[in-house]
Amino acid sequence: MSHHAVSQEEIALMAHLLRRAGFGASRDEIEARAHQGYDAVVEELLNPADAPGIEEDLMYRAYPSYFDKAAIETGQTEIVYRMINNKHQLKEKMALFWHTILCAGDNKVDNARTTSMQYDAFREKGMGNFKELLLWLSTDPAMLYYLDNIESHKTAVNENYGRELLELFSLGVGKDGDFNYSEDDVKACARAFTGWNLAPTVPVFPYGRTPFEFRFDPADHDYGEKTFLGETGNWNGDDVVEIICKQPSAARFVARKLYDFFVADEPPVPSWRLSEPRDLAAIEQLEKAYFDSGYEITAMLRVLFHGDFFKDEAIRYAKVKSPADVVIGTMRMAQDHTEPKPGLFFVAMEPKYMGMDLLNPPTVEGWHMGREWINSGSLIDRINFASRVLGDTELPGVRSMVNRLMAQGDSLTAEQMVDGCLDLVGPLTISDETRQELVGHVSRGGALLHGTEEEQADFSRRAGETFQMIATTSEFQFG
Amino acid sequence: MASVFLGINDRTFTYSFVAGRSEFQGTGFRNPMDFAFGPDNTIYVVNRSYESRSDGTRINLFILGDEGEEYITEFGGYGEGPGQFIWPMSIALDSQTNVYVSDEYLHRITIFDKDGNYVGHWGTQGSGDGELDRPAGLAIRDDELYVVDSRNHRVQKFTLDGQYISQFGSFGSGPGELNTPWGIGLDKDGNIFVADWRNDRIQSFTPDGQWMQSIGQPGGAGDASIAREHGGIRVVNRPVGFFNRPTGVAVDKDGDVYVADWLNNRVQVMTPEGRFITEFTGDAGLSKWGVGKIESNPDMIRQRNGVRDFTPEKVLWAPVAVKVDDNGRVIIADTTRHRFQVYQKNTEPVLV
Repeated sequence: MSHHAVSQEEIALMAHLLRRAGFGASRDEIEARAHQGYDAVVEELLNPADAPGIEEDLMYRAYPSYFDKAAIETGQTEIVYRMINNKHQLKEKMALFWHTILCAGDNKVDNARTTSMQYDAFREKGMGNFKELLLWLSTDPAMLYYLDNIESHKTAVNENYGRELLELFSLGVGKDGDFNYSEDDVKACARAFTGWNLAPTVPVFPYGRTPFEFRFDPADHDYGEKTFLGETGNWNGDDVVEIICKQPSAARFVARKLYDFFVADEPPVPSWRLSEPRDLAAIEQLEKAYFDSGYEITAMLRVLFHGDFFKDEAIRYAKVKSPADVVIGTMRMAQDHTEPKPGLFFVAMEPKYMGMDLLNPPTVEGWHMGREWINSGSLIDRINFASRVLGDTELPGVRSMVNRLMAQGDSLTAEQMVDGCLDLVGPLTISDETRQELVGHVSRGGALLHGTEEEQADFSRRAGETFQMIATTSEFQFG
Repeated sequence: MASVFLGINDRTFTYSFVAGRSEFQGTGFRNPMDFAFGPDNTIYVVNRSYESRSDGTRINLFILGDEGEEYITEFGGYGEGPGQFIWPMSIALDSQTNVYVSDEYLHRITIFDKDGNYVGHWGTQGSGDGELDRPAGLAIRDDELYVVDSRNHRVQKFTLDGQYISQFGSFGSGPGELNTPWGIGLDKDGNIFVADWRNDRIQSFTPDGQWMQSIGQPGGAGDASIAREHGGIRVVNRPVGFFNRPTGVAVDKDGDVYVADWLNNRVQVMTPEGRFITEFTGDAGLSKWGVGKIESNPDMIRQRNGVRDFTPEKVLWAPVAVKVDDNGRVIIADTTRHRFQVYQKNTEPVLV
């Protein structure tokens, strides 16, 4: 660790990295990480150990139901616990990334254990090789059920998985004005995945909806010749994945998805044929990393987090936070639920109330993200949740921020209180008009002292109120 | 009688049957964490369930006879009020069949009579004499109650109404030291066996708390991947004599020690000296209550008839508790499968 005093810009950049590559952090952690240095932190994020990054023994002792995840609420609660506490934050963020793309909803799969296991696989494989991820996905019970591949037979092909694999999971409809594949390619792709089917296993209860396992049925597979993306052969599903991954459009797809998730909003995939990437130079760097590394996601992430386009001040606080970012980011800032305790279920339901029902995306296209996260209902939920948590000065992360404010001097002006709070929850910049309103409110409470116990209580309460008011600003909706 | 086999007095065990199914009320269990033997083959069970289905958090009483399971009643529930629990962990019965339940979140012991009527509760959070921090395992002998005071890394002894008597153990990994212990069992002489959870071993103490010995070696260091990835699916072969977060311990009348080797999905049986005898990884088929449920639904029968491999049904999945009754029945709370697997310790070798 270096011993130089970190600059405000280093703190701001580190806060940005931890918000995007993870779910934010307490102010204490942001400063410690800034001391560690940006490049070192990026490497740590990119190289998580195989270990789970969480004290799982303590988690399962308190929450034994997380083993079988028989209900979607249990799976969601476990995911939220891991998001808050996983030391390998990028691994957890990448699990969410793939969950927003490779969608299978529990409302159709109707087996929380199966959909939860898909999410677990995204956590384990999400920073690995794209080809291996697609190969695994093509055997994933949640996906094969969700996209009807179990109804796709040699004699009667169902094109659903074959089509979405190309359109939404790996290539996109088109790029640079051209189409990436034809209807014939969709048919060939679907034929290659015939026989990639499921079989029942025994339910845990031991009754009820059965969890499935992958089973290849050679008698139901079309072994005939197929022409797929210009290549002709007796392609099976793994050949198709191989051909997909070497397409320039696959590199473009992954690059643009990563850019959209980590850097700045891109339009939805269906419009990519005609809409140029917002930053073509950045996309080309990511595409190069894709091919140079043999489709390694971590290699692309390394380029991304070291890129000037990622560090650029103009992209900070310019993405609307997803409901997961709102809920987990607030928990991590406030340092709540950092160890098992009751009440986690209610926290875990918050993303759903804000429009992001984890394990249950609305369609195969996933959630409409970016500005579409905000509507009049979800905005109220976002504000109520964040302000309730950040106003609780008993929570360790909030307490620590209040103590930092007190350490600024024996007496604070209203401006110092507002600017101090904005700095601690961000550093966040808000409009002058909003800032003046906040300062006006704080100043009406009189002097901000913390000498006596009574003054300390008043100071804490007003700091909590200021955090709450900041949580209601439009700027706080961005991350 | 007992023969000598590879230097170990030979014991044999046979699988008997499985009892239970998952239910939030009535004829089933939900994450059974511990149980205690009442009179006439009755068993009192602590069901943890989970926060979004807190209706499944309760104690139930059932008969575990040779004819399978029979429901009697249930009592207690989720909450912070009298007779309620948040994280119920363990259970013990006194000589009058009063029921004592520990609560790791509320730091208290709740008492019911044998029929489940609430009697009272006691316990104060703290680290002083008689105070509790995350009470887990319970055991009663001569109407004195041993409480595994897990986050204080000690065992405390109380009168049944909560008057402090004595304690032993402190944090550490040396002889007689404990790290976040969980279960507790007593042998016929009143010696105390503690599942020293985060030290991955069993330690035994004399009735007055003097350290006797340590059983088992650390193996896994809390790595939950076997339980997480393979639990309820297959058996992962683990070396004998190593424990990964042991949760429950029991001693039979011959002095053999049974350990719920939680994150290894198994129960190991050790000699009184700590040598490995055998392990149970699970042999279950369908329970009586399981058959009843599946028979009521043709779709379930159809799905079941398509299953190729029944190994997942057999195996133990993160079992928390194991006990042996006076008739040599070894009963395992198969916590994640919401059922009990029953084995028989035989006085003569039985060829299966």
